[in-house]
Amino acid sequence: MTTQGEPGSSLEDQEKLLDDAVRRVKRNAFDMKRCLDQSQVMDGVNHAGTMLDEMRTSLLSPKSYYMLYMNVSDELMHLSQFLVDEYGKGNRMPDLYELVQYCGNIVPRLYLLVTVGTAYIKVREGSRKNILRDLVEMCRGVQHPLRGLFLRNYLLQCTRLALPDTGQDKEQYGDGGVEDSIEFIHLNFGEMNKLWVRMQYQGHSREKEKREKERLELRVLVGTNLVRLSDLQGIDAECYKKQVLPGILDQVIQCRDPISQEYLLECVISVFPDEFHLQTLESILRTCQKLHERVAIRKIVVSLLERLIKFSENPDSGGIPSDILIFNIFSVEVSELIQNHKSVATVDGLAMLSSVLNLALTVYPKEISYVDQLLSFCLKCVESVPEADINNITLKELLKLLKVPIDAYNHVLTIIKLETYAPLMARLGYQHRKDLSVYLCQNLIDTGIEIPTPQEAEEFLGLIESLIKKQSDEPTGEIDPEDFSEEQNLVGQVVHRLVSPVNDQQYHVLTTAKKYFTEGGEERLRYTLPPLVFAAMKLVRRYYADKDADDKWEKKLQHIFQFISQIIHSISSAGLSELSLRLFIQAALSADRVHVETIAYEFVSQAFMIYEEEISDSKAQMSAITLLVGMLEQMGSLGEENHETLRSKCAVTSNKLLRKSNQCRAVALCSNLFWSGRIAESNAHLRDGQRVVECLRKALKIANQCMEAAAQVQLFIEVLNYYLYYYEKECESVTIQILEQLIRKINDSLPHLGANEEAEQIHKHFQLTIQHVVHRQKLSEGSTGGPNYAKLKII
Amino acid sequence: MAGLLGFGNTADVIVFLNEEEDKKKIEYRLEDGTKTKLPLFYDGDNLSGRVKIHVKSNKLQHSGVQLEFVGQIMLLSDKSNPQEFTSLVRQLSKPGELSQGAHEFPYEFLHVEKPFESFYGVNVRLRYFLRVTIEKRFANIVKEKPIAVQTLHLYPETDQSSLKMEVGIEDCLHIEFEYNKQRYHLRDVILGKIYFLLVRVKIKHMQIDLIRKEITGAGNSGISETETVTKYEIMDGAPVKGECIPIRFFLGAYELTPTMKDINKKFSVRYYINLVLLDEDDRRYFKQQEVILWRKQDKTKKNCSGVGLIIGGGTSTDMDTAKEEKS
Repeated sequence: MTTQGEPGSSLEDQEKLLDDAVRRVKRNAFDMKRCLDQSQVMDGVNHAGTMLDEMRTSLLSPKSYYMLYMNVSDELMHLSQFLVDEYGKGNRMPDLYELVQYCGNIVPRLYLLVTVGTAYIKVREGSRKNILRDLVEMCRGVQHPLRGLFLRNYLLQCTRLALPDTGQDKEQYGDGGVEDSIEFIHLNFGEMNKLWVRMQYQGHSREKEKREKERLELRVLVGTNLVRLSDLQGIDAECYKKQVLPGILDQVIQCRDPISQEYLLECVISVFPDEFHLQTLESILRTCQKLHERVAIRKIVVSLLERLIKFSENPDSGGIPSDILIFNIFSVEVSELIQNHKSVATVDGLAMLSSVLNLALTVYPKEISYVDQLLSFCLKCVESVPEADINNITLKELLKLLKVPIDAYNHVLTIIKLETYAPLMARLGYQHRKDLSVYLCQNLIDTGIEIPTPQEAEEFLGLIESLIKKQSDEPTGEIDPEDFSEEQNLVGQVVHRLVSPVNDQQYHVLTTAKKYFTEGGEERLRYTLPPLVFAAMKLVRRYYADKDADDKWEKKLQHIFQFISQIIHSISSAGLSELSLRLFIQAALSADRVHVETIAYEFVSQAFMIYEEEISDSKAQMSAITLLVGMLEQMGSLGEENHETLRSKCAVTSNKLLRKSNQCRAVALCSNLFWSGRIAESNAHLRDGQRVVECLRKALKIANQCMEAAAQVQLFIEVLNYYLYYYEKECESVTIQILEQLIRKINDSLPHLGANEEAEQIHKHFQLTIQHVVHRQKLSEGSTGGPNYAKLKII
Repeated sequence: MAGLLGFGNTADVIVFLNEEEDKKKIEYRLEDGTKTKLPLFYDGDNLSGRVKIHVKSNKLQHSGVQLEFVGQIMLLSDKSNPQEFTSLVRQLSKPGELSQGAHEFPYEFLHVEKPFESFYGVNVRLRYFLRVTIEKRFANIVKEKPIAVQTLHLYPETDQSSLKMEVGIEDCLHIEFEYNKQRYHLRDVILGKIYFLLVRVKIKHMQIDLIRKEITGAGNSGISETETVTKYEIMDGAPVKGECIPIRFFLGAYELTPTMKDINKKFSVRYYINLVLLDEDDRRYFKQQEVILWRKQDKTKKNCSGVGLIIGGGTSTDMDTAKEEKS
């Protein structure tokens, strides 16, 4: 056994050393137990002393020493148990207490003394107060950090159930109160902490990291003291505040060691109850001011705040007592920390303020002024740092902070009320500003809140400006089109949340939005303006519905339509012809619904103009024509004159399409206008069979010109279907002869088609058409009403 | 046969002490390593009993039977010349004849002065014994009966000043130590503490050595024998400035004698506490202090100090410098 030398370095060395030591421990423990079984106490104690010689080693690493300690303390349990059960009867504990002190080596001597001393307490013989005091004092003899820490840990372990606590306890033991336990643990804690800190300064400085790691492995030994204190039932909040905590904090401040300070404060926060913390917030926070620069003060403050937030949310806790002005305390103390402590960087300050904000929002949800107060302090903090020194991590923290009230309030209108929110948001970089804007929009949409006034709309849109307008600090690189469209669609959804219950106000809300969106550049228009058009049309319907209550409604409608027109023109100027054409069609229909013919006509003509000037692709033309015809068919506010002009325009336009098949289909489509089109004067459908048939005949004629056989037959079948439709609608101009003729023609043409997929499709189409007719024929047998297919002969 | 040839004793002599069985026995280690247990007497105690002479031959011619009580100091280097500091003589029988068989002679020494404590040291012995001498023409029959003597002292507990001293090596190590007393009885506890005022060396451990010095002869010609009774570790590891380490050292654990000063101008036995600090380079720093040990009368069986011993205060004394030596 030697106490000299450095800990064995290699892992195998350690294993071997430990194995050997444990083997010797077991052997001596065996001898000890044998003696105890024969009640040879002094021999047993002597063997225990030999066993404890192993604890004098300097060769083991902290980890291995811990393993050794576990073995030894297990074996000492036997001795302790024996002393309590057997030796206490009829033997004099004080004698043994002296005898074990004859041991020449201090480490084994003190382990034995602790073992006998605690047994002494347990048999309720001596003064527990004096014994505890003596043990904790005598342990000073071991100044070696590792050995001292474990010895004192053994002291804590043995006294766990022997500490004086409540008054009832005192009656059983005769002396000692909880104040003695506090003093005892304070002393032991102070000494252990000193030893723990001292570990840092042992050995070579290049092994600093290794030592820090070793120290962290041992921290629980020191923390156990605090756990013991927290286990004492006799400590109430008052006692904690006046006695327990000051003793701990003194030690924390005095040791000036960052690892210790950080661990101990975290430990204090986690082991003592929230009710105690509430009474001592100032002491703890002021202690933070005195901590070493390397201590993560932020972590400590945040964990304290998080505990209190949880506490206040817990329905069983009874909440934070009203006499504790928790917000004031934290805002003052945290501000002090941020301003005065060198090591608290802006990012840490923000993280702490973020937690304070969370607390304020949880405990005082109605006090908006608290939040504003904090935000303006944040702003001050951020502004006090040169812009170049604000890194991305700081900004991320600020972003996190700004999200806190969004989540807490879940109400963007409240966010708008926070005066400092926007200026603080402006300090974020482009990307973070955009992220926060998206977050705000998403919150608005998820909560379904409506923004009712132009001012609020202005403020909200101002907040999310980074989504709406090009920003001066926007990076120049490529933008991911998918992300972009996602963001802009979100803004589009926001438009539908700009809703005022008052019509006039809604108009102003929309004009405000328009002002913002038109500054968005062409790439954003397609997403943001269409929803605005639809929102405006919605308002049109609202005005119309309330027209009896508002005698200026027509004038107002005009304004709105002008507003709509302007927007669509902006879209059109951005080169989005097809979109603007469709919007004009929608606008026309909207005007039609509220019976303002001139405006409706104007919109239709705008649509045609776009068609003529901007749309050249034949596919696009075809679909535009289809929409235009559909629109005109739907409209009911046009007088005969305008209607005539427009339906002719449709027919002419159809006729001018490039491809014959398109011409054919469009002309056939136009037949609808003469049949189900409506004019304002009669408010009835035109039902002009003559013109219908003319259209269809024209369509057939065009189909005949079609060079490709399959396409031609397909067109014939389609036209046949038109005929059948009108026949069934009892259009007299459609006769059986026409039908028969066309069917024959198709039948003649079909065999000339080859046998391919397309031909098969056409056959199928025709078969189904004929099946429909046959079905109708069967239905009409014996019935008098409805179209009569009876005479139709299908060859 | 032996008697016929004139060799050996023709009579067995046994010295009996009254109540010997009831006397406390004290064990001494002799120079040949064997141990002996002797009945204990104090200064002024009576010595009484009887001497039994069993004559084995037909009769024993003698020129007188004497009993002496002797206190003797003997230097082992000069055994032939012991010094008797006490000698009391009783005539048990006048010259004459002792017949075969047993003869008994009662004796009594009243209030015997025994000024010194028995001492069986390395170089010197102080012993007390009763000696029976049957004087004969050619060879006297002599029988010795040794006893143990312990001297008791009484010092008032209150009249005890502590020993406090600041020692050190400049800019290297400064400590202040304090022992609660300067005189300790043999079952006493040395209580004390060590304050570390300055620590610039890496100390490995600290111990106190209890040293016994036996000095024989007087003045410069004296021979000194030093013996470390025990080494008692009081600190493990390196303290820092401001640390205070407790000392609690039970003297009762060791076989000690009272301090003896210049006993009959022949020898002294002194005790010292040596405070030793060892640093990581195995340098020793020490400070030796004499302590006076004295024997206290056993009043009760309870000698153990137990718990709650308070580390006493005291007056401060002069600064001194600890010696340093390379080992």
